[in-house]
Amino acid sequence: MTSAPPQTPAAASTGPVAPTAPVWTAGRVWLLVALGAIALSLIPTGLFRTDVVNGGGLPQLGRFARASLTPDLSAEFLAIAGQATVTTLFYAVCGTTLSVALGLVGGVLMSAVWWQAVFPQRRRPFGQVLRLGLAVPRAIHELIWGLFFVNIFGLDPLVAILGIAVPYGAIVAKVFADLLDETPRQPLQALLNSGVAPLPALLYTLLPQAFLDLLSYSFYRFECSIRSAAVLGIIGAGGLGYEIFLSLQSLRYEQLWTLFYALFALNGSVDVISALLRQRLDSPTRMDLNLKRQRSARAGVSSAALSGQPGTPASLGASRSPAWERRTRGAWGLGHALLTTLRERLWQALPAIALLLIVILIPVSFRWVGADYSKLWSPRTATLLGDVVRLATPIRITAADGAQLLQLSLQTLAMSVLAIALASVGGILLAFPAAYTFFLPGGLFSGTRESRMQRAIAWAGFIATRLVLLVCRAIPAPIWALVALFVFFPGILPGAIALGLHNLGILGRLKAEVIENLDQRPLLALQAQGAPAPSVFLYGVLPLTLTRFLAYSLYRWEVCMRETVIVGLVGAGGLGRLLTEQLSSFDYRGLVVSLGCFILLTFGVDAVSGAARRSLR
Amino acid sequence: MPLFDLQRVTQRFGDVAALAETSLSIYPGERVALVGSSGAGKSTLLRLLNGTLLPSQGEVWALGHPLGRLSSRQRRRVQRQIGTIYQQFHLVEPLRVVHNVNAGHLGRWPLWKAVLSLVYPLERDRAIAALHRVGIPEKLDARTENLSGGQQQRVAIARVLVQNPLVILADEPVSSLDPERSRDVMALLRELVVEDGKTLVVSLHTVELARQFCDRIIGLRQGRIVFDAPTAAISDAMLTQLYALEDEG
Repeated sequence: MTSAPPQTPAAASTGPVAPTAPVWTAGRVWLLVALGAIALSLIPTGLFRTDVVNGGGLPQLGRFARASLTPDLSAEFLAIAGQATVTTLFYAVCGTTLSVALGLVGGVLMSAVWWQAVFPQRRRPFGQVLRLGLAVPRAIHELIWGLFFVNIFGLDPLVAILGIAVPYGAIVAKVFADLLDETPRQPLQALLNSGVAPLPALLYTLLPQAFLDLLSYSFYRFECSIRSAAVLGIIGAGGLGYEIFLSLQSLRYEQLWTLFYALFALNGSVDVISALLRQRLDSPTRMDLNLKRQRSARAGVSSAALSGQPGTPASLGASRSPAWERRTRGAWGLGHALLTTLRERLWQALPAIALLLIVILIPVSFRWVGADYSKLWSPRTATLLGDVVRLATPIRITAADGAQLLQLSLQTLAMSVLAIALASVGGILLAFPAAYTFFLPGGLFSGTRESRMQRAIAWAGFIATRLVLLVCRAIPAPIWALVALFVFFPGILPGAIALGLHNLGILGRLKAEVIENLDQRPLLALQAQGAPAPSVFLYGVLPLTLTRFLAYSLYRWEVCMRETVIVGLVGAGGLGRLLTEQLSSFDYRGLVVSLGCFILLTFGVDAVSGAARRSLR
Repeated sequence: MPLFDLQRVTQRFGDVAALAETSLSIYPGERVALVGSSGAGKSTLLRLLNGTLLPSQGEVWALGHPLGRLSSRQRRRVQRQIGTIYQQFHLVEPLRVVHNVNAGHLGRWPLWKAVLSLVYPLERDRAIAALHRVGIPEKLDARTENLSGGQQQRVAIARVLVQNPLVILADEPVSSLDPERSRDVMALLRELVVEDGKTLVVSLHTVELARQFCDRIIGLRQGRIVFDAPTAAISDAMLTQLYALEDEG
């Protein structure tokens, strides 16, 4: 626009002069900070200075990779794998149920709107106090909670359930409180004004108003719970994580891959069902629209095609651009039609599936898991907790401890930065081929007349990237770390790579969802004025998505920071390794200090990430 | 005894006095219209009457109780006798109509009953009777967000009917509706109030509706009462003066 020639010579001399474009925008400053942080983080890895790659481990890695083609499919082991899968699923169900229950109570008590309803005339800071208090359980990773509960309850399923429920409960409470506070309050105020007590008023206004969001978020938490349940298995709670750890330790790679495939299947199916459900819950209006479209599409000669609207992800296939209809005839069209019918069926069955999940799976899970809840209030537990308090106090820090903690903190920070850098860049690169609105036939960047071969390549690329992302996120980070340790010497590099790969899978999928949900009208407008694909990408896609991508990455950095603990478990270094050592040797005094240090570090990362995210808006 | 009694009430928001030194009594059975341009203090006055706001100065008595000096429990008991209807309806849109109507019971229902009713709607007969009176009994199980504006306002009125208060406050109840619906809703309100012997205090932006449906009109301007008289005594000159531009007065 700036290079547009002036209309008349006179305008050039007297017309407005454009101010020089600012060089140091907030975005560029943050970019420099990020690049600097990544560069600094490379120093403690020892890269370029010492040997980091262990060449002797390569044959091992080869054996491991080859075993992926020959998983152990004996009936005996399949039974074990099946049972482990069910256990992990049920742990996740129980953990999610408890954390949602805790989160609902905590969320109400943390919300500003609740205390405003109870004390309309005075301001009471109860909500903020609770918010601050719950920041601590939120900052501590599930695994640390799990290890702590092992010390208290022994190897009981209770460890896995509580290990998920305690930190997730605190997270859910915060999110629920935010959702409640963002809900319009006039209906609530109307009921309060007519003399209704706060609790029933809340039940009849804010809860139903926010219900879909609350439910949607609960299902997202369920997806996370599956991954956490697998990790908690590693510390002995049972399930897939436990079996994976056993097989890896005894170097039975064929068994390992059977378990991996079980994990992929479990993770993949939960993710797909839950993502669809969340999509449907997020916007009931879009669903209604979609259903109407489907009806009209069946009634006439593809009347949906006449509308020419690009399909929302919710309506994949149900309403496609005319181009899509034209291009997908023949064999591909048949496959596509099948896929569409399947997806449509699933879409319609979703509420029933959700209800089934809630009504049947929850009681069954609690029965199957059969945790010994009496341990929660047994005298032995009280004694052990008393011991912990006695052992943990008084707290002393020597200068040597301080120096060690500082060094480990910096290592941990470096590990989280490298991990998120890998996950973020990799995630963005893989997100585009993983989004079905781009390169697939009918997508934005597919040619108008593609050969059968080109279409096949597009589909293969799409499926392959999706699979890569699934494998990346389904394998727990500590397992990635163990694999990385085949070829790297212990240190923060294998830890960062393990965390990076795992989070790459998560971020890639999230970013693909962003791309698929993109409003395509501005892109089609650019395309319609003749802009080539790379320009559409630079002027349309990137500006529309980059902010969201960066926001997700920054948020995920906070999660990465917490997750450094779990790769520490297998010796990847940093504070996590110290924490797990102290926990397993009952060194509670040291634990309190290093945990405090870790929490401070977490809060620091949260603050920086929050500041960066705010400047993105 | 008056239902409402305002004694030298001032309500400030920051530096702005939305209502200044206002004294006013409203008696049972009256149909009072509050008129005046936007920002005159009509909404503030109504929010003081139902206890949403406590005044910066002065005292508001409702049903013989000083609202500012009650505990929350005592204030709730008084508020149950005051039903309010809003311009934007303030219904819970994702809930079915029956639940929004039943919300009128919540001041009296114990918690377990409120919870149970969300799962299995209780007192459906009362709800359908109320909806019948406002003319939309067929909407009992409809989702509230699928209703038109006029229908939503009728649901809000049905909720107040179920609440069965002594007095109904209405804050611009017809401003979101077209003229035809406005007259219907106002006629409905008058009919309900007259039949059940209730009191009505309604803020309106059209003087015609006030003259047609109320027996007392209070004119507000810049937070002060300009006139307060029976409808018959209101002259065109008084109204012209009320709505005259600031710098002309």
